[in-house]
Amino acid sequence: MITRLSLGAVGLAGLAYGAWLLLGTGWSNIVAAVEWLAGGVLLHDGVVAPLSIVVAALALRVVPSSVRARVAAAAIVIGTTATQALPLFDRPGAKPDNPTLLPRDYVTGWLVIVALVVVVSAALVLLDRVRARRS
Amino acid sequence: MALPIPRESSFTSRLRTPAVSARIGRWLGIAFTIAFLTGLVSHWAQAQTWWIPYPTAPSWGYRLTQGLHLVSGTACVPLLLVKLWTVFPKLFQAMPKPFSREGVLTVLERGSIAVLVAAAIFQLASGLSNSAQWYPWGFSFRPTHYAVAWLAIGALALHVAVKLPVIRQALGSDVEDDALNRPGTQATSAGLTRRGLLRTTWVATGVAVLATAGATVTPLRRISLLAVRNGKGPQGLPVNRSAEAAGATDAAQDPAFRLTIAHGDRTVELSRDDLAALPQQTRTLPIACVEGWSASATWTGVPVRDLLDLVDAPASSDISVQSLQTRGAFARTTLQGSFSDDPDTLLALQVDGEDLDLDHGFPCRLIAPNRPGVLQTKWVHRLEVIA
Repeated sequence: MITRLSLGAVGLAGLAYGAWLLLGTGWSNIVAAVEWLAGGVLLHDGVVAPLSIVVAALALRVVPSSVRARVAAAAIVIGTTATQALPLFDRPGAKPDNPTLLPRDYVTGWLVIVALVVVVSAALVLLDRVRARRS
Repeated sequence: MALPIPRESSFTSRLRTPAVSARIGRWLGIAFTIAFLTGLVSHWAQAQTWWIPYPTAPSWGYRLTQGLHLVSGTACVPLLLVKLWTVFPKLFQAMPKPFSREGVLTVLERGSIAVLVAAAIFQLASGLSNSAQWYPWGFSFRPTHYAVAWLAIGALALHVAVKLPVIRQALGSDVEDDALNRPGTQATSAGLTRRGLLRTTWVATGVAVLATAGATVTPLRRISLLAVRNGKGPQGLPVNRSAEAAGATDAAQDPAFRLTIAHGDRTVELSRDDLAALPQQTRTLPIACVEGWSASATWTGVPVRDLLDLVDAPASSDISVQSLQTRGAFARTTLQGSFSDDPDTLLALQVDGEDLDLDHGFPCRLIAPNRPGVLQTKWVHRLEVIA
C-alpha cells in the first residue's frame, strides 16, 4: 500500500508540475496544445480503433481459420508501421535547401516493409501446413 | 443507419484482457520512462547557464542519450497502439452513480487515464514530427513537448499506482489464465492466441525500431527505410539547417571575414588564414541533434582555449559564441567554462581533411564533446568572454 500511495503521490506531483509548465506557455500556446491533445485521442478512439474493429470483422468473414493467426499478425505489423510511415509519405517537412532531411522515398520504403511481412507470413503459413501434415 | 453504441460486454475477444495489457504495459512503461529521462538530459544539456554545468565527458554521451530517446519513443508507437486496443472496451464501461464515493473515484481515475492517453499520443506524434522538422501546429514545440512529458510521466505513475494489484496478479500468472477475464470473454481465440499477440507486438516493435534507428545507429543506415536521415550529405555529414535557411550565405563567404575574440576591452581579430596558421588539433567528435539523428566526423581546427589565451581570458570563462546567421534561435549561444576549458573543444576549420562546407559552418564552427547539435554553433564570427 505504501508503494501505491507514494507512486500515486509522485504521479500527482508530476501532473501538477506538467500542468504548471503548460499554463506558463501562454494562452494561444495552451489552446493549440489542448487541440492536439484532444485531437490525438479523438483520432484514435473515433477513427483508428473503430477502423481496426471493422477490418477485423471483415477479415473474420473471408480469411479461413487455418491462416487467421498469421494474417492477424501480419496486419498488426503492417498497421503499426503504417502509422509511422503515413505522415512521411508526402515528405511534409522537406526543405529544398536541405536534401539531407527526409532523403528517402518513404512510400517505396513502406511497401518494401509490407512485402517483407507478406513474404515472411506466407513462409510461416507453409511451415504450419508442413507441420500439420507430419503430425 | 446509426451505429449502436457498444457496451463493455460487446467486446468478447480473449485478447482484450489485463493479462495482455499488463505485459505490454510493462514495456511501454519502461520505454516511456527512458524517453522521459533522456528528454530531461537533453533539457539539461540545452540549459546553457544552469547551476550544475552539463559534463563534457563522455564525448558520445549526448549522442547515446538522444539515440535512446528516438529509439524508445519509436518503440512506443506499436506498443501503445496494441495496448490501447486491448483496453478499448474500458471506454464503454458503465459509470457508477455520479454522487457516490465510487462515482467520484471512477471519474477521477478515468480522467487520469484520459490525460495519460492524450499525453502519450501527443508526445509520440509531436516527437516524430519534430524529427522530420514538420510543425503542422500552433504551439511552440520545445516548451510544450517538455510540459506534456511531465503530464505523461505523472499520469503514468498514477495509473500504475491505481492498477498495481491487477498488474501484480496479471504478471504473476500465465498469460492464458482466465482469472482476470471480463464477463463474456470467449473461451478460445478466433485467430491469434494471447501469446501470439504478444510475440507479434514485440516483432512490430522491433520492425519499427529497425526502420527508424539508422538516423543515429550508423550500421543500420542502409536498412532503416523510414529514417529521416541516411547519414549522407556534404562531406558525408547530414545538415540540420542550411546556410541559406539560416541567412548566413553572403556573410560567411565574404573575403573580409574576421573572427573577433573579445575579453573586456581587449579584442583580437583573425582572418581565416590567420586561424589556419595557428597550431591545429584534430578530434573525432559526433554531431548529435535533438531531432534524433547523429553522425561522427573528424574535425580539425584551433582549440577554443588557445584562442581565449590570445586575450588572456581567465580559466573557466563562460563564452558567448556568436554566429553570422540572421535567422533561428541559436545565433548566440553560451559555452560554459567547463566546455571552453576542455582541450577537445575546437573552433573547427575542416572536416575529414577538407575545408568546411558552407552548410557545415564555413568559415569556422564550434565543435565540442557531449554537446547538443543546436549548440555546436556554425558560421562563428565572435567569441566573447561573459563578465
